[in-house]
Order: sequence, then C-alpha cells, then structure tokens
Amino acid sequence: MRNILALIQRFYVTLAFMGLLALSLFMLFSSNNYHRSAFVEHSSDLVGKVYNQRDKLAQYLRLGEINDHLALENARLRARLPENYLLRDTSTGDMLDTAGVLRYRFRPARVINATINRDMNYLTLDRGSEQGIQKDMGVIAGQSVVGIVTSTSDNFSIVMPVIHSNFRTPVRIKGFFGQLTWPGGSPQRAQVDDIPKHARIMPGDSVTTTGFGFTFPAGQLIGFVEEVDMLSKESFHVITIRLSTDYRKVNYVEVISDLMRQEIETLQLRQDSIDGTDRP
Amino acid sequence: MALIVLNNLLRILFLILLQALVVSKILLLDGLILPWIYIFAILMLPFETPRWLVLVIAFGTGLVMDYFTGPMGLHTTACVVLGYMQPLIQRLLAPREGYEINERPTIQKMGLPWYLTYGTILTLIHHVVLFFLEVLRLHDFFYTLIHVLLSVMATMVLMVLGQYLIYNSKPADL
Repeated sequence: MRNILALIQRFYVTLAFMGLLALSLFMLFSSNNYHRSAFVEHSSDLVGKVYNQRDKLAQYLRLGEINDHLALENARLRARLPENYLLRDTSTGDMLDTAGVLRYRFRPARVINATINRDMNYLTLDRGSEQGIQKDMGVIAGQSVVGIVTSTSDNFSIVMPVIHSNFRTPVRIKGFFGQLTWPGGSPQRAQVDDIPKHARIMPGDSVTTTGFGFTFPAGQLIGFVEEVDMLSKESFHVITIRLSTDYRKVNYVEVISDLMRQEIETLQLRQDSIDGTDRP
Repeated sequence: MALIVLNNLLRILFLILLQALVVSKILLLDGLILPWIYIFAILMLPFETPRWLVLVIAFGTGLVMDYFTGPMGLHTTACVVLGYMQPLIQRLLAPREGYEINERPTIQKMGLPWYLTYGTILTLIHHVVLFFLEVLRLHDFFYTLIHVLLSVMATMVLMVLGQYLIYNSKPADL
C-alpha cells in the first residue's frame, strides 16, 4: 500500500495528465457527428452574446457593401411586382393567382459568427427556437443555398453550411440528379457525384436544389459547374462546382420552414403502412 | 502573488478573446494558414509554476476556447498535451545555471534563439495534436502536415512580433 502511495506521489503529474487527457478525448468523441450540438444549449447563449457584439462592430465597417447588396435585392424584388407585368392574355392569370397555398415560409436572420477555415465549419445565427427556428430547416442567402440548421438554443441557432465535411444534399444539373459533398479545402468549391457519364455537363451549368425532402424548395441555386472530370474510369462524372454563396461575406440569411412537412410525412407513413414496408 | 495570478488570468482571457474574435477570422490561402496565438498564455507562465498548475491552467484555457469555436474537447486535448510538455521542454532547454526566480520565458529575458526553439517546439506539439485530431482522415495527411507547418510559422511570427510590441521598453514586469 505504501508503495502504491509512493508511486502516486512520484508520478502524480503524469497521472493528472492521463486523467485530463482521457477527459478531454472523451468530450471530443462522446459527442455525435455534430460535435457541438450537445453543448450548444449550455454555451451558445453566452458565447452568442459575445459574438453578437463583435458582429455589430464588424458590420458597421461593412455597411456600404451591405447597402449595395440590399439595393440590388430590392431592385430584383421590385422587378417582380405584378404592376410591372403586362398581362397579354388575361385568361391565364398566372401572375395574380391567389389559389396557391403557401408552402414555404422564410424567416430573416443574421449570421453572427462563421468559421470557414476548418474541416467542420459552422455558422451561428441570432435567431433560435423562440423565434421559430427548428432543427433541419434550410438556410439560404439571397437566392443561394447556405446550409441546414443542426441545433438551436432559445435565441441562437447553429447551421451546418455546405462547407462542412458531413454535409450532403441532392442536387440537379440539367435534369440529372447528383449528390453534393464538400471535400475540404477551399470554401468556394464543392463536388458533385453520381451524375452519369452520358450526361453532357459543361462548365457554367447551374447547380440547383431538387426540392426533394423538406429542407429547400426546388430550384434554389447552389453554384455553377467549374470543371468536369473526363478522365476518371468510373461511370459517373466527378464535377467540381463553384459555390454561389461567399461564406466570407454571408451576413443576412433566410431560414426556410416547410409548412407542409407534416402533411407529406403523414401521407408517406400511411402509404408505407399499406405497403407493409419500412422507409429507410 | 495575487497580482501575478490576476495578471496571468487577464492575459489568458484577453488572448482567448483576441483569438476567437480577430485571429480566427484570418483566412490565408483558403484556410491553409491558421495561427492559434492563444497558446501564448500557456507559454508565458512563469518558470516556477508547479507542473500540476500548468496542466490545470492549460485544461481550463482549452475548455474556454472550445466554448468559442468547438467542437467540444478539441482545444482541450491539444492544450492538455501542451500543458504537460511545457515544463519538460523548459527543463530540456534550461541554461546551465538554471532559471532565475520570478522569471518568465520572454525574448527579452532569454534571447531570441532560445525563444524560437522553445516556442516552435511547443507550438508544433500543440498544432499537430489540434489539426490531426480535427481531420482524423488519413488521405489528408500531407495536406494537414503542410497546414500544420505553415500555421506554426504564422503563430510564431505573431507571438514574436507581439512580444516586441508589448514588452520591449518595459523593464522587469510581472
């Protein structure tokens, strides 16, 4: 017994080191894929406030640029007012259709912190569950895709952007469906797989969302094809795209909630129970 | 004594905020160069700090850093390793007559060559643990290696310049 005590006394620093190392590694690996989620509820309100202050300052310095963006967006929206359209054929009434039912609701939010130089990047928004933000909602800026909400606290939420090594979303290029991933490295480029070789994809083609699932409406811009790998022997293209969102400058975003999600899910569940199969 | 403790605590807090709010926003070569200057706080602890205390301070510093940039445990792990190694490296690099009482490892006290050796070894240890834990993917090995080396250089440049800026004209301070 005395020997053990003597041993502990001699190596207590190393033992303390082992203990603290085990504790911190446990913290790192016990949290799931989105490491942060488990802790965000405790920390992000305080840390969020600090970031919020910083962002206020940084934003002040960029007011000019933000103004330009807003002016551009105003112009684009104003161009879509019904008064600007001449209805040549009154029988269609497409522009003034009131029979449509609202499916997507957009909530504005501000990015108060963003990392872009990591493998797993995150954005912090200044809106949380009390403002109606929920997990799995899509986030866009202007017309282009930013990411997906992964966790929320009362007043803040965390977004996994396209530039996160776990990000996946189905995309469409010229009517073909592929899978978007981010291989790391540049925050301006991503990769699209699963597009068959017979599709004639050219640099400059636009990459958009499919509208499958409940995250993004169809046709939201993700980026443009930059390079198509012709050499690979696989039967699918490896396509490098340039993202249309500049994560270094993203500031105002909109969070999308799908108002019909529940109805569609219920319908799919009912069909599954009729078929007697489980949807994966 | 209380003043020394307060001084070190304030330095840690200041460096963490500086890291999270300013330095982490630096984006050079698509994020290939990413300095982590907050470890300067651990490198600056006085020579006679007990080893267990260095460990605990490093652990706490990493924990607070993780609250700012996540994922939880990443900086904590790297800092614990750094806190364990710091006294060992100091002992390894000790001059023949040992360190003076109440001294701190600064360029002014120890000279530039000594500081470059000391700082580079510890920064390298910290950055290797940090970056390789963050990626954990083998095919990125060389990319991560270059990432580590360039970032170590950037961290060292900032730390050395920072010391010349802050401590230059002052005589012995805390």
